[in-house]
Amino acid sequence: MSFREKLKAFSDGLTEYYAGPYRATFIKARQQEDDLFMMLVLSEALGVPNPASYYTLELLPIVYEDFHAWHRRMGMEHSPLENIQCC
Amino acid sequence: MLLELIGDTRIVFFGGKGGVGKTTVASATATALAAAGRRVLLVSTDPAHNLGHLWGVRIGDRITTVREHLDVIELDPAETTRQHLAEVGHTMRQMMPEHLHGEVSRHLELSAQSPGTHEAAILERIATLVAEESDRYDHVVFDTAPSGHTSRLMALPELMAAWTDGLLDRRAKSEHLSAVVRGLSPTGRDHVVTGAVDPVDRRNQQLRSILLKRRERFTHLRDVLTDPAQCVFFIVLTAERLPVLETAEFHAELRSSGVRVGGLVVNRRSPADQGGFLAQRRTHEEEALTTLRIDAPVVHLPLQPTEVTGASGLEAFARLL
Repeated sequence: MSFREKLKAFSDGLTEYYAGPYRATFIKARQQEDDLFMMLVLSEALGVPNPASYYTLELLPIVYEDFHAWHRRMGMEHSPLENIQCC
Repeated sequence: MLLELIGDTRIVFFGGKGGVGKTTVASATATALAAAGRRVLLVSTDPAHNLGHLWGVRIGDRITTVREHLDVIELDPAETTRQHLAEVGHTMRQMMPEHLHGEVSRHLELSAQSPGTHEAAILERIATLVAEESDRYDHVVFDTAPSGHTSRLMALPELMAAWTDGLLDRRAKSEHLSAVVRGLSPTGRDHVVTGAVDPVDRRNQQLRSILLKRRERFTHLRDVLTDPAQCVFFIVLTAERLPVLETAEFHAELRSSGVRVGGLVVNRRSPADQGGFLAQRRTHEEEALTTLRIDAPVVHLPLQPTEVTGASGLEAFARLL
């Protein structure tokens, strides 16, 4: 490893050391934002009347991918929604 | 007089209390416009369709020509919903493992039954007709469902636009946070250059493009409906106490949705010179109409000796407008 590369690795390490905690915070914030979005789209399934369920339906295929990750993240082994059984 | 009130306005709605003759007046107006050489599309948005019965032909959910320059369609919310669900279901099944296809179908079936779905389906069709068909016709005349449903329908584009705006805001926030995260990663600079599409970005783009498409539709429909030069609403009523009272409320609701009310059509006015019985009714009608304090032109249509049916009946009735 040349001196240049060593310097680069050191610099990356420092960046990671300082930026890491912030990144984690922002990832968390984004996840919460996405979770809220998913709840809005799935509100009908949760028993909250949704004025636009006809239109949220077309978003379902896309948030479906995320749904599994969400309930695992929330500490639920299996899907909490009776009509969405992803696993 | 009604034709002068319509003028060159492209989108014309007829609404009012049930049973006052909306379908007859809308059909007669469409006939009169077509007779004047304009190309007209007459649309029924009432799930209990009567256009076919009135014209004496089977119409259904496809554009049918009933006379020169006049096409007719009866929107079918159930069929629209079924197609919409079939499309969504198709996409979902492609993305889900096969053993879950049953779940997908179950979820979609429940959604089809949820309240508001038929309303949304009708709205969707109106938006499509206004956006796509209105270039091929000089006038699109809507024969609507009784007042309550229709005032809600006229308020929906505004609600839906607000709703998609809300969802788009959420997406913008989430995407902004994604960008920040990317900037904070040590290889962030390289990432932007390579432009590799990561799954989160791809999903975000899909969500946004669907939402934007929706919002564009809603705002377009709302802009047309609230533009006095493009859209006009006529309230049909009979000169009786209940329809008059309902008309006042309906008028207020339409105004608050920003829809221009071009006039009131008082249908089935009794003649004054056909015997004491009808003359007495006539006096009673005048009384009922005095309580109608709405600042809009009023068109009176006389009671007919026989029921208006079929193309020839409508032609004759159209000459009275």
